[in-house]
Amino acid sequence: MAVRAQFENSNEVGVFSCLTNAYAIVAVGASENFYSVFESELQDVIPICHATIAGTRIVGRLIVGNRKGLLVPTTTTDQELQHLRNTLPDEVKIQRIEERLSALGNVICCNDHVAIVHPDLERETEEIIADVLGVEVFRQTVADNVLTGSYMALSNQGGIVHPKTSIRDQDELSSLLQVPLVAGSVNRGSPVVGAGMVVNDWLAITGLDTTATELSVVESVFRLGEMAPGGAAAGVNKDSIVESFY
Amino acid sequence: MKTTWKDIAPVPSHQEFLDIVLSRTQRQLPTQIRAGFKISRIRGFYTRKVKYTQETFGEKFQHILDGFPRLQDIHPFHKDLMNTLYDADHFRIALGQVSTAKHLIETVSRDYVRLIKYAQSLFQCKQLKRAALGRMATITRRLKDPLVYLEQVRQHLGRLPSIDPNTRTLLICGYPNVGKSSFLRNITRADVDVQPYAFTTKSLFVGHFDYKYLRFQAIDTPGILDHPLEEMNTIEMQSITAVAHLRSAILYFMDLSEQCGYSVGDQIKLFHSIKPLFANKIVFIVVNKIDVRRPEDLEPEYQEQLQEILKAEDVELLQASCTTTEGVTAVKNAACDKLLAERVSQKLKSGSSSANPSGRLGDVLSRIHVAQPMGGVRETFIPDAVKDLKKYDKNDPNRRRLERDIEEENGGAGVYSFDMQRDYTLADPEWNHDKMPEVWKGKNIYDFVDPDIESKLAALEEEEEKLEADGYYESDESVEDAEDADNRQKADLIREKRVLMRNEAKMRKSLKNRAAIPRSAKAKKLSEMTRGLDSAGYDNSAASSRARSQTQSRGRAPTREATADADAMDVDDNPHKALARAKSRLRTTPATDRRHDGVTTFSSRDKAERLAKLGQKKMNRMARAGEADRHTTVSLAKHLYSGKRGMGKTDRR
Repeated sequence: MAVRAQFENSNEVGVFSCLTNAYAIVAVGASENFYSVFESELQDVIPICHATIAGTRIVGRLIVGNRKGLLVPTTTTDQELQHLRNTLPDEVKIQRIEERLSALGNVICCNDHVAIVHPDLERETEEIIADVLGVEVFRQTVADNVLTGSYMALSNQGGIVHPKTSIRDQDELSSLLQVPLVAGSVNRGSPVVGAGMVVNDWLAITGLDTTATELSVVESVFRLGEMAPGGAAAGVNKDSIVESFY
Repeated sequence: MKTTWKDIAPVPSHQEFLDIVLSRTQRQLPTQIRAGFKISRIRGFYTRKVKYTQETFGEKFQHILDGFPRLQDIHPFHKDLMNTLYDADHFRIALGQVSTAKHLIETVSRDYVRLIKYAQSLFQCKQLKRAALGRMATITRRLKDPLVYLEQVRQHLGRLPSIDPNTRTLLICGYPNVGKSSFLRNITRADVDVQPYAFTTKSLFVGHFDYKYLRFQAIDTPGILDHPLEEMNTIEMQSITAVAHLRSAILYFMDLSEQCGYSVGDQIKLFHSIKPLFANKIVFIVVNKIDVRRPEDLEPEYQEQLQEILKAEDVELLQASCTTTEGVTAVKNAACDKLLAERVSQKLKSGSSSANPSGRLGDVLSRIHVAQPMGGVRETFIPDAVKDLKKYDKNDPNRRRLERDIEEENGGAGVYSFDMQRDYTLADPEWNHDKMPEVWKGKNIYDFVDPDIESKLAALEEEEEKLEADGYYESDESVEDAEDADNRQKADLIREKRVLMRNEAKMRKSLKNRAAIPRSAKAKKLSEMTRGLDSAGYDNSAASSRARSQTQSRGRAPTREATADADAMDVDDNPHKALARAKSRLRTTPATDRRHDGVTTFSSRDKAERLAKLGQKKMNRMARAGEADRHTTVSLAKHLYSGKRGMGKTDRR
């Protein structure tokens, strides 16, 4: 299932929310429309939490989490931390990290098994990530961008990377992550796929500007709905695409 | 690249051409001229006529030359097609003649303009002009045939189908009447005429169809007969041109039933004779009319020849029947697939010298690549609740109640404020809305939050009880004695006094929002001083008299002291004093006010002032500095300060 949504006229859904297999965190907005998009898809399945981080609404860029844990930056206030602790299930470990690169959502991209992180992250942070999120941590770049969290959207079933990622990089990342990867875009050609969408194992929410083609790529690579694995981008029409676009 | 020429402007016949040009000269130029005019004006008039006519001719001819395609600039296919249809030499000559005519007319114009310069009268000028225009008309009249030919070419060119030589193309060729046009009708929507006689199709026809999301063009060619190239007519040559130049998949149609009137042997022979044109192309032999006769029913010798072709060249045999449409789609698909694969493999080969293509091709390839991991798949964590979740429907009355619904009920966005603590998962739901202060007694509460606080408190209490039980608190050692208490009290007093003093000094020193004026600048009245001294119990007479003497003005008194003898001469009894007095003179105030000098009453003084003003009046009016001011300013010339017209257009100089 892939849904289009908008946060107060912004298509960057991944900036204002964070979605995992065990919980969702949504920024506090002027109205409840964005929150209700999550509610309509996830109510009574996983807890959805209204939150701010350091008083800002860009929660999706500041925090990173998966089924097992949640990492928040050092700028998070005690009250916000308390609020998250009270709302999220007890199985989810929450940890505040003292890290110079405080936009954790931009520098870390993870699913429930693996995390791809910014190469300059501190060693202590790397250990905390491995402990709290229960993942293997790899320092990598995506299409020569160090902001792995911004340029990559990842679930346990698949991933989308920056549209300019070379085939070799895609294969390398795919072998690290053990999930199928495609290079793609969201929001009518935006390369910041991590910031433009949120995804877990059964739901993807993308910006309202996302085209039908982009959405079908998202559905097929993340295996959402009834899409067969591989899907639109896989092989069948490769000749036609090469013929018409080159 | 241009593939159609539908927008060439019509070419007028020579007569129309003359009418257009001459009437334009007549309309656009002045017509009034008199013998009485200056000769230079008359010459100018006729020169202009000649030149303008020449320019118009030139412009029109150039327009024709630019409108037609230049054979060396277009694709070889179109070039050869035009050569076949219109004869390239003829076409070039026609355009060359137009170009020559243009140059000739330019020469004529130049010559006659030169002659008109020497004409002596209106009559001479006019005759020269007539001669010039006459010669131009003659040159144009000689273009009669080329213009007619070009107009025909234009009309034919506009009706040619738009064939893109570089796109995906299926080319259908073969003997006449083997079913080429009916195949095109079957696979595309092109409305091609199909008749049961040879050479129904006399020119190239194009149809388009979609396959695998791509647009293909199929070209139907006229039938070809098996004879040498030199003997072929225009209709057949069009087919040959298309076969030779288009990068395409070629479908060579055969009719094994021989209903077309040509034997199978002939058809195989034709294939062999046009085979050289098939180099580097994908070739299929399509056996048409299989409803009548299939290749299996063929005589053994022909069958053998056919197999030979299929074996020797890279040729595939396909079968179809256009009447029953059996196999038509299969033929189309087979041809398209092979063509597509061929084109893509060529593109991939040309786009990449190494294994990893870069640039645009690399971009495209990386976008359609799905990187598959080597090992197994990752475990997923989809809650069971997802499978049972009913799809949210906005119009369902029993739909899930969302935060948005609650918001709407409570006054909408901006009014409603959601309950952040509603969904807390605490041990007791009643705790959800407990108030918890952030800061208490200047301390951040969260700094003291300790998960083990309960156990620690219990331990402390236990220890306390133990101490109490041991009688630790029984001995009263800490009571201070009286002396210590006294000392403490005194020290407290001293400290308090100190604080008070410090505060007072602070208060004194503080400016209290006033400007900082130095003490010396503050004026004190003498009375204040005397009162102060009195209250303090001092004698103030000496001090006050000194203060008075200080305030008395220095310098000369305003009135002169009455000397003992008014008539006595001034004597400098003390030269130093006199010198000092002489020096201080200038600084003294005048004894009298000059304004009142020389007048007796106030009224007379007013009168005097009025008269003085009157005397100044003229000087003021003339802006003079004084009576002696004789300055004369630079005066502007008239045009510098006045405009000719009052409309505000030309008065800006």
